[in-house]
Amino acid sequence: MSDDSSNALFEPKIIGFLCIWCAYAGADKAGSSQEPYPPNLQIIRVTCSGRVDPQFVLSCFQNGADGVMIMACHPGDCHYKEGNCRALQRQRMLLRILRQFGIEEQRCRLEYISANEGGKFREVVTDTVENLKKLGKLRHALPLDPVLSAAAGNHPASP
Amino acid sequence: MKIGIYLCGCGSMISEKICFEDVREAVGSFPDQPYLTVVDFICSGEGRTAFIEELKRERPERVVVAACSPRDHEATFRHCLSEAGINPYLLQMVNIREQIAWVTSSRKEATQKTIGMLRGAFYRVRLQVPLDVMTLEVCTDVLVIGAGPAGIKSALTLAEAGRRVTLVERTPSIGGLPMLFEETFPNLECSACMLEPAMMDVLHGEHSKQIELLTLAEVVEVKGSYGNFQVTVRQQARHVSQSGCISCGQCAAVCPALRSDGRKAIDFASDVSLPHVPFLDEKACLRSKGESCQICQDSCPAGAVALGQFGLTQSLELQFGAIVVAIGAGLYDAARLNGLGIATSSDVYDALQFQQMLSLIGPSAGEIVSKGGQAPASIAIVHCAGSLDQEHIAYCSGICCRYAIAFSHQILTRLPDCRITHYHRELVTPGKHSSELLNKLKEEGRVEFRRYENIRELALMPAVEMVVLCNAVVPSDAAGQLAALMDVPLDGDGFFQELHGQLDACQSFVKGIYPVGACREPMDIPTAVNEGTAAAALVLAGLRPGRKLEIEPVHAEVEADRCSGCRLCVTVCPYRAIAFDDENKKAMVNALLCRGCGACVSACPAAAIRGHGYSDHQIMAEIRGLLK
Repeated sequence: MSDDSSNALFEPKIIGFLCIWCAYAGADKAGSSQEPYPPNLQIIRVTCSGRVDPQFVLSCFQNGADGVMIMACHPGDCHYKEGNCRALQRQRMLLRILRQFGIEEQRCRLEYISANEGGKFREVVTDTVENLKKLGKLRHALPLDPVLSAAAGNHPASP
Repeated sequence: MKIGIYLCGCGSMISEKICFEDVREAVGSFPDQPYLTVVDFICSGEGRTAFIEELKRERPERVVVAACSPRDHEATFRHCLSEAGINPYLLQMVNIREQIAWVTSSRKEATQKTIGMLRGAFYRVRLQVPLDVMTLEVCTDVLVIGAGPAGIKSALTLAEAGRRVTLVERTPSIGGLPMLFEETFPNLECSACMLEPAMMDVLHGEHSKQIELLTLAEVVEVKGSYGNFQVTVRQQARHVSQSGCISCGQCAAVCPALRSDGRKAIDFASDVSLPHVPFLDEKACLRSKGESCQICQDSCPAGAVALGQFGLTQSLELQFGAIVVAIGAGLYDAARLNGLGIATSSDVYDALQFQQMLSLIGPSAGEIVSKGGQAPASIAIVHCAGSLDQEHIAYCSGICCRYAIAFSHQILTRLPDCRITHYHRELVTPGKHSSELLNKLKEEGRVEFRRYENIRELALMPAVEMVVLCNAVVPSDAAGQLAALMDVPLDGDGFFQELHGQLDACQSFVKGIYPVGACREPMDIPTAVNEGTAAAALVLAGLRPGRKLEIEPVHAEVEADRCSGCRLCVTVCPYRAIAFDDENKKAMVNALLCRGCGACVSACPAAAIRGHGYSDHQIMAEIRGLLK
């Protein structure tokens, strides 16, 4: 897999968790301005960045993502008061866990995007794609470890 | 499972950038063979009709709409599902316009991304379940706590709309702090003249039958939630019947005991207090010292004095749908302003004490006299006394400069030769009329304005004969206890915290509880009055007789079997929506209060909380779909 990193054609797969109030609106704003950015980011809409369970991020790496972005309201702007602060705490904790799996910190990025920051959204996505291209494909995909997958799936089978 | 996928071309906005034929082919390989239909301008009237008609024909069990942002039209398409007889929560949207067509240069890449995101939505929507809006019977009566201008205005507005209101006031009379003000800024209007009509409306107005006023009363317990609060109010006996009293003052005239403000133990709260009915201060009454005095009762010509309830309080159990909190604010304790050197050599008054002195019905009948009995030749008015001071109160109290300037005018009217110096850190007079008085003072040049940085500097200033402090406005001493019993958060300064400081300033984090006026931020009378009216509007819009309250189905729910009772969820919920059942050691979400943020769902270490509409495995399925 390591030769992928030197491959200029490597296109990282990125999953973004965007809170509906600020960051998702910021991504929409980037859309309205109709200026292109790389297509590597696929967005999952969440009510709040505080909803991003660390297991979601681990699951992304288990399933082959090269990077994860958590995009939140700016500190103090959270629609739910402090969900973004929890997202920050969890991301910091995640970085330590990911390091232990040999997954680089740059692969899990948290950014604050306001509803008006379409430009910032575009820049951050572009920058992340470039960084991940340099970093190459995820070398140490999280194993589908029985413990982890049990944790990830420990809800009852039916929704 | 039959799944319908609908693509909107949005004119050429989307269809030009994404190859729908390639998408169709890729979708053909999805499990369960979903059908795919292209509807151009699906949000338009025509598009919606075609969409609904096909939904009725095809009867899909789940629906994916790939179009513009769900922020634009998710509600529209949910509505379409409802019209077609499909549960609206069985819809998932994919934003292929803002997030793909408009921002991807290559048609091939845009098409690939569309297929990926459709697959994510497809895997997710399969796990979505029908959600139903639950409804709840509600009580539409309203509790208003605090009978200052904000509370009065709120109660009157609600009463006029036909609501039953209980107005609870802890003092013997209504009107609040402004009633102490002889003349208010910006027009030097007499506050009693200004407020009295509204107060009379509460007591005797057209809608006063709708308002039950409980004076000398405090809220001591609040249970339940929006629509159904159970409130206990404790009321001290007034010992004078409000309906029987003829306001003659005979009881006070004969009473042999004095209370701390110099009035009789049984007396009016003030000469202008409303309701204008005396009350008995039990602590001051001779009966509290074991004597059997009942001269007031014996001498009342209307038989309105009754001492039978002496030492007793009454507990009232009441039911309300909503609570307006309008308990006002207090003043920062001047004793904490150490190093106020200017104070040591002269008479010092805080703003309310000075108001009392200016009051025509105050102890000096409106004359400005020092403790030695003379008219002061010089007065220092100290603005920002405790405000804008990192050692005391960091914020600007916002109203002090304006009343301080009104003070100057009042002093100069009474003592034209008095030398007045305003000491201020900042001079703040917002509002379209508020600068007029200040400009007039400056033009006349009769008053000196001096800026200071640290209040200790005032020790070095020339001695004056009287000092008036414009103390920082701080939360009422009752705020902490009341907030605790309603479980409503206060902000870092101790004021009631707003749901959103700009857009939802009159709502607390707890649904159905509306903090208004100076209890949420220092503010002037008109703003407080407006907030009282605003809260009334929110109550009227939210709770309507004959209409049940709808509970948003996107909320969290605890699976009791899995709950370990750790209470982490209780801690993370910003809306106090999670209660703990001490008996069974389980957490329980009140769906009515939950706003569906999901903080508890992701915090629960036992994965015992399900987020309806955004569950863990729906999101996990979306992740897997996106990365397939």
